[in-house]
Amino acid sequence: MKVPLGWLAEWIPLPDLDTLQERLTVGGLEIEEVIHSGPDLSGIRVGEVQARETHPDADRLSVCTVDLGEEEPLEIVCGAPNVAAGQKVAVATHGVVLPGGLKIKRSKIRGVRSHGMICSAQELGLGEDPEGILVLDPGAQVGEPLSSAMPAGETILDFEITPNRGDWVSMLGMAREVRAHFGGSLTLPPCEVSEGGGDASDDIEIAIEDREGCYRYVGCVIHGVTVGPSPEWLQRRLEDAGFRSVNNVVDVTNLVLLEFGQPLHAFDLERLRGGKIIVRSAREGEKLLTLDGEDRELRTEDLVIADAEGAVAVAGVMGGGDSEVRDTTTSLLLESAHFHPGRVRRTAKRLGLRSDASYRFERGVDPDGQSRAADRAARLICELAGGELARGAVEVLGENAPHTEELALAPERVNRLLGTKLTADEIVALLARVDIEAQAGPEGVLRCRPPRYRSDVHIEADLIEEVARIHGYDQIEASLPTGRLEGIQLSARRATTEAVRSSLAGAGLSEIMTFPGCPPEDDDRLGLAEDDPRRTHVPLLNPIQAGDAVLRSHLLPSVLRAVRGNRARQAERVRVFEIGRVFVGGPDRPEAWHEREPLQAAVALCEAGAEDLWRDPEVPVFFRAKGIAERLLADLGRRAEFRARADEPFLHPGACGEFRCQGRPVATLGELHPTVAAAFEIDAPTAVLMIDMEALDGLRDEPMRYRELSRHPRMRRDLALLVDRDTPSGEVLQVVQKKAGAALLSAQFFDRYEGKGVPEGKVSLAIRLLFQRVDRTLTDAEVAEATERVVQVLAERFGAELR
Amino acid sequence: MPGAAEHLDRILAEARGAIAGAESTQALAEIRAGFLGKKGSVSTVLRGIGDLAGAERAAVGKAANVTKGEIEALVAKRREALEGADQERVLAEHRLDVTLPGFAPPRGHLHPTSHIEREMCAFFTQMGYSIEDGPEVETDWNNFGGLNFPEDHPARDMQDTFFVPGGNVLRTHTSNVQIRAMTGQEPPFRFVCPGRVYRHDLDGTHYPMFHQIEAVCVDEQTTFADLKGTLFAFARHLFGESTDIRFRAHFFPFTEPSAELDIGWGGRWLEWGGCGMIHPRVLLNCGIDPERYQGFAFGMGIDRTAMIRWDIPNIQLLFDGDVRTAEQF
Repeated sequence: MKVPLGWLAEWIPLPDLDTLQERLTVGGLEIEEVIHSGPDLSGIRVGEVQARETHPDADRLSVCTVDLGEEEPLEIVCGAPNVAAGQKVAVATHGVVLPGGLKIKRSKIRGVRSHGMICSAQELGLGEDPEGILVLDPGAQVGEPLSSAMPAGETILDFEITPNRGDWVSMLGMAREVRAHFGGSLTLPPCEVSEGGGDASDDIEIAIEDREGCYRYVGCVIHGVTVGPSPEWLQRRLEDAGFRSVNNVVDVTNLVLLEFGQPLHAFDLERLRGGKIIVRSAREGEKLLTLDGEDRELRTEDLVIADAEGAVAVAGVMGGGDSEVRDTTTSLLLESAHFHPGRVRRTAKRLGLRSDASYRFERGVDPDGQSRAADRAARLICELAGGELARGAVEVLGENAPHTEELALAPERVNRLLGTKLTADEIVALLARVDIEAQAGPEGVLRCRPPRYRSDVHIEADLIEEVARIHGYDQIEASLPTGRLEGIQLSARRATTEAVRSSLAGAGLSEIMTFPGCPPEDDDRLGLAEDDPRRTHVPLLNPIQAGDAVLRSHLLPSVLRAVRGNRARQAERVRVFEIGRVFVGGPDRPEAWHEREPLQAAVALCEAGAEDLWRDPEVPVFFRAKGIAERLLADLGRRAEFRARADEPFLHPGACGEFRCQGRPVATLGELHPTVAAAFEIDAPTAVLMIDMEALDGLRDEPMRYRELSRHPRMRRDLALLVDRDTPSGEVLQVVQKKAGAALLSAQFFDRYEGKGVPEGKVSLAIRLLFQRVDRTLTDAEVAEATERVVQVLAERFGAELR
Repeated sequence: MPGAAEHLDRILAEARGAIAGAESTQALAEIRAGFLGKKGSVSTVLRGIGDLAGAERAAVGKAANVTKGEIEALVAKRREALEGADQERVLAEHRLDVTLPGFAPPRGHLHPTSHIEREMCAFFTQMGYSIEDGPEVETDWNNFGGLNFPEDHPARDMQDTFFVPGGNVLRTHTSNVQIRAMTGQEPPFRFVCPGRVYRHDLDGTHYPMFHQIEAVCVDEQTTFADLKGTLFAFARHLFGESTDIRFRAHFFPFTEPSAELDIGWGGRWLEWGGCGMIHPRVLLNCGIDPERYQGFAFGMGIDRTAMIRWDIPNIQLLFDGDVRTAEQF
């Protein structure tokens, strides 16, 4: 809400701007913007004309000596007839830009140097001044900015109003808030009316049919108005507050809305059929052309204002086009009502029609303010548009009177909640500043009566907030909680997540976080089968972009997009991971979907030829991904078995596999299928790894504990074996590990070779065995026997031959 | 043995020359063996004294041992010199261009949000808070209703919401965990919940996803003053000892009194989070007696904290997958 300070100052004395801003801000009125309306006078200063002489070569020009409070006065040539010694004037010196855009420069005028310009009101954008230059008040301070001597335009504070404070959305509300912080007394604009002519009730009959929807309806009748443009002061005031001027009648209703926060509506009385106003529910399907030119279809839950024949306004939201005030209108019905906040909100929301009126009704207007606002508007309309106010405004009451409960407040409750030591008297005084009357009752409990305009104060805590707010949050001394400490609980999920995060970052991957919305076409890009469960998405009902139509059912598309994006930014290689939830829909009721959010991690490694000086050995990207998975599982203490797979549609069938822990898949990895890589526009070899975090939750398979260190020598045996080319090397190694006996410390490949020297269709595997015992030194014979056993088993199982 | 002394003198002179001429420790060892080894000339002299008579044997033996000692000393001295020279040579041969860059082990990077989240969780666990978790697709009750957002109240407009089928929403804040964690529990409790939240808002300064951390402390005497103290300590933990914070009155449906929290940073107040004393109706909604128990709750953006602390100008930089951002942290 835009509050012009000059206007507010008519209601309540204001402190200086900084103090005002600071207190209102901490009091809960957030200032979004400070706007200065009017011309930009920066740089223009107050000067005093010390001497004036006629220009030696031009009778009409004066050469003035002007004091700007600097060491030397300046010489300025001036063409205005009214310039005279002793005047305080507005001076623009070299470099200053006038509001009209003119940049002032030093110059020579007919041979006399002029160091600036003495300005007229017109040149400063302050209106016409046929007299010539602007002559300032003699008290103006020489050298000070012009704005100090004559405020031009308005300072407007644009406040963000919290939705609980409907009472703030008016000049009256702002003035009350200023009073709460700084004291002073309110000056309300004049509201007294003079009535004449006939009775309003002769012209209009008002009935409230939907008694829940309308608490009060006040109607005034004004005859003989002349609709026309508003006077300039009214136009400017509305403009400063962010409103557009329409005509004198509509402008008055808006002005009063701004003054008192009470929405008003003016009907063309002659267009109300049957001389009737009925506040009722809309008929199902009832139509109304609203002021904005839209045809609206209404429903029974909407509250409307109707005449004898049909709806003429959506109550509290917007008037109808037919009964709108126009240039030819001469008689008015002025509506000032209190509608049910929830009803107004529902209708406004459904119609997508948020008006200044609905904004205020939703938040709650003063239930007792209708007559005053109607009077204020009637008075102004009669003043500005002529006309005569008919006798006796018609006032009808419905139900749903806003609350007026008395609330009990024990001072010790205040102090217990806030941690303060306020006395009952202090609390009463603080509450009084926001019009909450509090009186001591039995046992020191205060009986508090909030004003009816405060629709947000219902319970003890609301009162305590007002005490704290007016006392000042900054006045409450900080302390730390005391009390019993319970043991800290950290979920297994969290421990796993952090361990995975550390492991993946430790493996050289960078973490990304992405929005989980994705387009359903991703499923086709990934080549998912029609019945793949990952096609059952949770849709977003109101996505921001088409690309976010559904929530992702797995993380792969997210990391692939990151690969593409980073490649597009010329990254040679991309190594990223994301940990996040995925969302699984299903054929069952959508209500059941919200607990299905498996946590996953996904890794993508994309390696284009690196041109580093220092270069890692070239390892196929698949094995880098596999190594990351193995490291991760080891970090988490999980024992996993690997097996090849070829059935994941988006992975290369020849380079794909999974790790299982206790039979459950925990990680799937593989090279990206070329078709999928193309669909995601990825142009370099890429491997991905998908980790099911749920399956990793829980205990380590092997508890971490110390194993005794051996002080005896290790024995090494290297085997070079020829096997068939398609023998799975991993299985060979597993057999070695199983059969080499208890003395085996480790068995590792150190070479895999095919080509020259190796028979066609065969491959040479080089395995290094290390043996060691904790209790004694091994003998050559023992090691030889173990090695032979291994060779024999490999020969039987795989047809392996020693090379 | 006639001329034994002369013989030994010759041997010594010969050894002196040979030792002085040795160019490597290897050659020196061979030279030594030639004199003192099993078949060395001194050893031969020593072996020969067995044939001599008593007095002569003693004299020659003594002289031979003296010669042996002298040769050993010469060898030792020469070895020392040669070893020094060897080392010099080795050192001279091994010369690296040390101005080449180091070969860095691969290094990954946590997301800036993860860094801050870890710091935040570390702070709160040290303060005795548990860490809770909650779903991102949430019921209307846990996200709004239970938190005292009435139906048909403009408070619902405070958070632009993504809707999903079944009357559920993408949670707009981590406050849903207040309802989940408190329902059916008996205070006292202290917990935090970090997590992703969603708002239906995308423009230059907003992104539809961000991260919040929610903190809740409920006991019989937990006060607004305690809320302030906790937040002061938290802010100083994250932003430095001299950090100031400011409480501005505000409205949240689930706290009363409520405040917004500003942090003094770079000479300005920056909005950091929201806080307040838990609304009695929220406690009631969770089955907690608000006459007996009271407490505070607060929440702030984790990403926002990272952005403030590290001068990250735009939230979108955190979520567009560009690793160059994460790689700076």
